[in-house]
Amino acid sequence: MNPFKYIWGMLFRLFPCPVPVGLHAIGNPDQDSPVLVTCNFYITVRRLVRRLRGYDIWLLVAESKGVNVWCAAGGDEFNTHSVVSSIKTSGIEEKVAHRRIILPVLGAPGIKAAEIKKQTGWAAKWGPVRLDDIPQYLDNKQHRSEPMKRVTNTWFERLDLSFGCLFPFFLIGAIGFMIFGRHLLVDYLIVGSMAYLFFYLTYPWLPGKTGLVKALFIDAILFLLLIGYMVSGVQGPLSIRADLIIAMVMLLVNGTELGGLASNLPSDLDPFLARLDVKNIGNVAFAGTVRTELLNGIRTLTLNRDRCIGCRSCEEVCPQGVWDIDGDKRAVLAHIEACTACRACIVQCKGGAITPELAP
Amino acid sequence: MFSYVFMKMLEMRPTSYDRQMELASRGGIRAVKIEVANEIPAKSHVLEIGCGTGELAEMMIKRGATVYGFDFNPNMVEVAVKRIESSGLKGKLSVHHMAVDGMDTLPDAAFDAAVSTLTFSELNDDERRFALKHAQRVLKPGGRLIIADEVIPEKFSKRLFHKLIRAPMVAVTYLVSKATTRPITDLAGEIAKAGFTVQKETRTHSDAFAIVVATSANQRRTW
Repeated sequence: MNPFKYIWGMLFRLFPCPVPVGLHAIGNPDQDSPVLVTCNFYITVRRLVRRLRGYDIWLLVAESKGVNVWCAAGGDEFNTHSVVSSIKTSGIEEKVAHRRIILPVLGAPGIKAAEIKKQTGWAAKWGPVRLDDIPQYLDNKQHRSEPMKRVTNTWFERLDLSFGCLFPFFLIGAIGFMIFGRHLLVDYLIVGSMAYLFFYLTYPWLPGKTGLVKALFIDAILFLLLIGYMVSGVQGPLSIRADLIIAMVMLLVNGTELGGLASNLPSDLDPFLARLDVKNIGNVAFAGTVRTELLNGIRTLTLNRDRCIGCRSCEEVCPQGVWDIDGDKRAVLAHIEACTACRACIVQCKGGAITPELAP
Repeated sequence: MFSYVFMKMLEMRPTSYDRQMELASRGGIRAVKIEVANEIPAKSHVLEIGCGTGELAEMMIKRGATVYGFDFNPNMVEVAVKRIESSGLKGKLSVHHMAVDGMDTLPDAAFDAAVSTLTFSELNDDERRFALKHAQRVLKPGGRLIIADEVIPEKFSKRLFHKLIRAPMVAVTYLVSKATTRPITDLAGEIAKAGFTVQKETRTHSDAFAIVVATSANQRRTW
């Protein structure tokens, strides 16, 4: 392991951190060992290798441009061709006697499982959402329990993800203070981190649906405190006004894209940027994508029950539990309110029954 | 030459790709293609791995070749197909939408030569190995392989210079096209490892670009 690369990957989660693609043997796998597919994001591969210690596994690292499974699948960087190419060129076909692969289920917005079978003859099945569940999944004869199919949003996950994504912005702020207000740098570092920690640990209980509203709620309280402090004439530490303002700005920054950093919430910023007709920033597309159009209500997730062939793909791949299967073994759009517009069900639906129809 | 990474951006507009690549490389890319085309034996049947807009294919056809080209970028394939019409290459050039992992579908010993320009630097290690293995298979005994691509200079000072100059271009290209190219560490070595006999390697642009000419094994191998 390269500690510098791990730290880079952790702190700059918004940027790609690739490892070479290819086949890795974990433990002493043989021709009957399971084949797990993953992305070529350094942090994911490191964590997988650590978690799978003690197992005999073929790990097929496929091209995702160094981006994590979910984001890369959403951006079509981790796609059917990544997996097909890996199966055909990595040499796995000579290593195992079976023709079965286990795909990360968060790759479902990009990887068409049925298409892999058609192109390579390999049967693909979906593994658990979290890599921490993979050992249990393997022990359990590769059966996914219900919780393994759904995303969670634990305090550790909240901090892990938000820290990795927000650190560059925190750093930009610190550099700003270093240049323009060095006397407030220590305040910024302490108050800024505290505001960040407070927000990400408590947001599920803060009022409001979006991160921005949640942040504005706390900001309103802090603003009242600030006014109260200023009119009361109490002699506190000199920097208390600046500290309150730092906290308020920090909360706003953190709140702006809370949804995009929380596994069970839709992005707030992306549909907003789409409304401003921003086509893309870097490698992330906004205006004109199915995802933002679903979030903006331009399209609605629609089920045509007559075309449902009962393949259960939607229920298998939805990490939010939006789909149920009824007594007829057909799909029911049961919890649309939980949908985050990842498009996995649309991509995987074998009957073409699930479509993002233009809203009337 | 480092500017070849810009190719990923230019690919987004396939119709003006050739012209703009020409500008980005200050005429270098055309010279490379002419050099590659000149290495083709007369009247040969050529496989082009990553044929792009078909510019090189057309040059080879002018030298009497017939070309089977494939490319994974559907927009480039579209432009190449239009070129067949506009330049009257029907029957001389066929273009297919395929990635290198589809090379296992090509017939054995069917080609006199295989060429590839600025494609191997877009492939990963496994894909390059796979492409070379199948190039060896589909070439007739003694067939020619010509690969021109970005490589990493051998000398440390040149390598450092290459890295420094290239880094900002890579960043810009990635931001615009979400793609990059990967210069190859040991192109000639990989080709030799796949069973080819390397005839010559020409390095240009401070050693950051290479044209490798090799021949396939004279003895047919069993696959």
